[in-house]
Amino acid sequence: MQHILACIDASAYANSVCDLAAWASRRLQLPVELLHVVQRRDAVAARHDLSGAIGLGVKTNLMEELVQLEESDARLQVERGRVLLAAAKQRLQEGGVDQVRSLHRHGGIVETILEREADARVVVIGKRGAGHEFASDHIGSKIERVVRASDRPILIASRAVSEPGAIVFAFDASKSANRALERLVNSPLFTGLPVHIVMADSENAVHRQALDDAAGQLRDSHEVRTTLRQGKPETVIADIVDQTPGAMLMMGAYGHSPLRTLIVGSTTTAMIRTVHVPVLLVR
Amino acid sequence: MITFASLKREWLANPRGDILAGIVVALALIPEAIGFSIIAGVDPRVGLYASFSIAVIISLVGGRPGMISAATAAIAVLILPLVRDYGVEYLFAATILMGVLQAIAGFLRLNLLMQYVSRSVITGFVNALAILIFMAQLPELTGVPLLTYILVAAGLAVIYLFPRLTRAVPSPLVAIVLLTVVAFYAGFDVRTVGDMGELPTAFPSFWPPDVPFTLETLKIIFPYSLTMAAVGLLESMMTAQIVDDLTDTPSDKQREMKGQGIANFVTGFFGGMGGCAMIGQSVINVKSGGSTRLSTFVSGVFLLFLLLVLGPVVAIIPMAALVAVMIMVSIGTFSWRSIRDIRHHPWQSSVVMLATVLITVWTHDLAQGVLAGVILSGLFFASKVKRLFTVATDLSADGRSRTYRIAGQVFFASSERFVDAFDFKEVLDRVVIDVSQAHFWDISAVGTLDKAILKFRREGIEVEVIGLNEASASMVDRFAIHDKPGAEAALGGH
Repeated sequence: MQHILACIDASAYANSVCDLAAWASRRLQLPVELLHVVQRRDAVAARHDLSGAIGLGVKTNLMEELVQLEESDARLQVERGRVLLAAAKQRLQEGGVDQVRSLHRHGGIVETILEREADARVVVIGKRGAGHEFASDHIGSKIERVVRASDRPILIASRAVSEPGAIVFAFDASKSANRALERLVNSPLFTGLPVHIVMADSENAVHRQALDDAAGQLRDSHEVRTTLRQGKPETVIADIVDQTPGAMLMMGAYGHSPLRTLIVGSTTTAMIRTVHVPVLLVR
Repeated sequence: MITFASLKREWLANPRGDILAGIVVALALIPEAIGFSIIAGVDPRVGLYASFSIAVIISLVGGRPGMISAATAAIAVLILPLVRDYGVEYLFAATILMGVLQAIAGFLRLNLLMQYVSRSVITGFVNALAILIFMAQLPELTGVPLLTYILVAAGLAVIYLFPRLTRAVPSPLVAIVLLTVVAFYAGFDVRTVGDMGELPTAFPSFWPPDVPFTLETLKIIFPYSLTMAAVGLLESMMTAQIVDDLTDTPSDKQREMKGQGIANFVTGFFGGMGGCAMIGQSVINVKSGGSTRLSTFVSGVFLLFLLLVLGPVVAIIPMAALVAVMIMVSIGTFSWRSIRDIRHHPWQSSVVMLATVLITVWTHDLAQGVLAGVILSGLFFASKVKRLFTVATDLSADGRSRTYRIAGQVFFASSERFVDAFDFKEVLDRVVIDVSQAHFWDISAVGTLDKAILKFRREGIEVEVIGLNEASASMVDRFAIHDKPGAEAALGGH
């Protein structure tokens, strides 16, 4: 059965993730699956013994020591995870979601999310993980990996969210942008929300035509505005997002290869970093 | 698949820990590489170049991030006769061929053969390795002045006691530095590394070995290459398993085998001896906080840097300091627990372990020891399984017909018991042999049944066999049956 997969951890984003998942659940009439992954602290990296000496039975002793270190830590993590899941479940129920299933797993965050997303209509995830609390201008390293490997739409929660009241749609006429447009037309998630289509490109007939086509498809079901403005996508779109109260940004994700991204940087990553509203990525 | 994310994970997951661990490993590699070169009877240069080249290459192409490979004792003890009889150039050629053989083994997925190497054999392997490393130090410890013993004892004391003071510096390095300084300034007349042969002064050069490319050469080096390849892969697979367990992460064993092949192949051209994964160094690496390819890479590069910078200083290190380090490696490699376990484990396991140790120490060849251990554990297994065999018989009411119900495992080792179960001298009209609860594993088992039927018929007894199809299913389906779902049900009744 389809559901909404909400991934939470101990970061400040857990509440926003719950609220967005509740919103999506009400709109799509789907149950929510709450996922928390227990991440074991890596004991190998944590202990520093540079003595380089190996004595009697060093292999067994080291194994014992590593297991002990990870064991106590993992127990604590599991306890914390349970509390976290219970709190999140309560918040979802208060948000009007009846069917909430909690899922507590061991393993890698990215791997587990990819494994669980098979039946998910939307994956909701925080912008940063618990490990990145203070690096406020970065996005969590896990997000990019999830988005690249996943084939589901991903809703990235910002730190504080209000219920989305308008959609800002970053359109660049690419394949993934067209797929996002299709979703915008069909999905009950967006019913009744005004849409502002933004294209950050030079003013010419081709671009104007693409923009008008997109607007035409949406006009039946939504209130539509369009903007075509020259500039860096991150600044143009961030401007419009700032002017739109209750905005949720929607965009096609990661059109380029990881290698190109490594050299020139990714528009998607830059965008997620600069805007402080929820972002829905469609691959 | 190699992606940006996997590259990042395998190289940059933990840079601080990896770089520090890599440096510790490099410092610990120097005495070992020199020590192993001396075991093999070659210039220290050969082992040091090999350690640099293998560590760097395996960090790029290996399948087990965080494992350290370099010139090793296991290979060094094998090649002494080759170097003695034919010279060091033949060693380089043998190393290149060893790499080729290992890469082939990787493509043939021979890592799966590791399943047949039991725990006892592995314990025997590491114990034998420890004994060989220790024995290789004996020439340095016999017929030498008392001063040498004092220096070795002092070295060991520093190695084991210094970590109580601080764990921020590798204690074997402290021992070497202290002993070198003392021996040099006090002017002790003891043997130094410089006495043992040439040390590296420049980057290694890439050059094919100076041997005639003839069939004759191949005949000389092939047996050595084969053993080196086998021992190298065995130790690498075992070490990979140990690192898997310690870090609780999986590894790609097939890729590791091919990687070992590439590393040795290239190393032969650099004028290095063959190598493989090192149990002791890999444990040191994990212990120091290293877990990715970066630490292996740093250890190789830093080793070369140290050699080029410290080359002249290395020559004045007293041999006694190296002997102390080698004794530490030997003690750390030996599985001391296995001695205690001899009393608790089944006697067969202990026999396998001891046989592996004895044959290895006897022949100085780890491959022969392991082969003996594997054969012995196979025999013990067969003799245990053959006892899983029962026969129930009952005579019909009229006393003219008897039913034999055979249950259990019938194969070459149990076929004698199978025949003994029948009483051919009993006067009967009819015999029913119900084998539906038995498993016929091989053609010896079927042959034995045939023989029994013929014997009954000679006495004029009519024989009926029931359930042969079920019984021989295990043979006909050969390797397939036990790894399909429902195999337990198919083998039911025991």
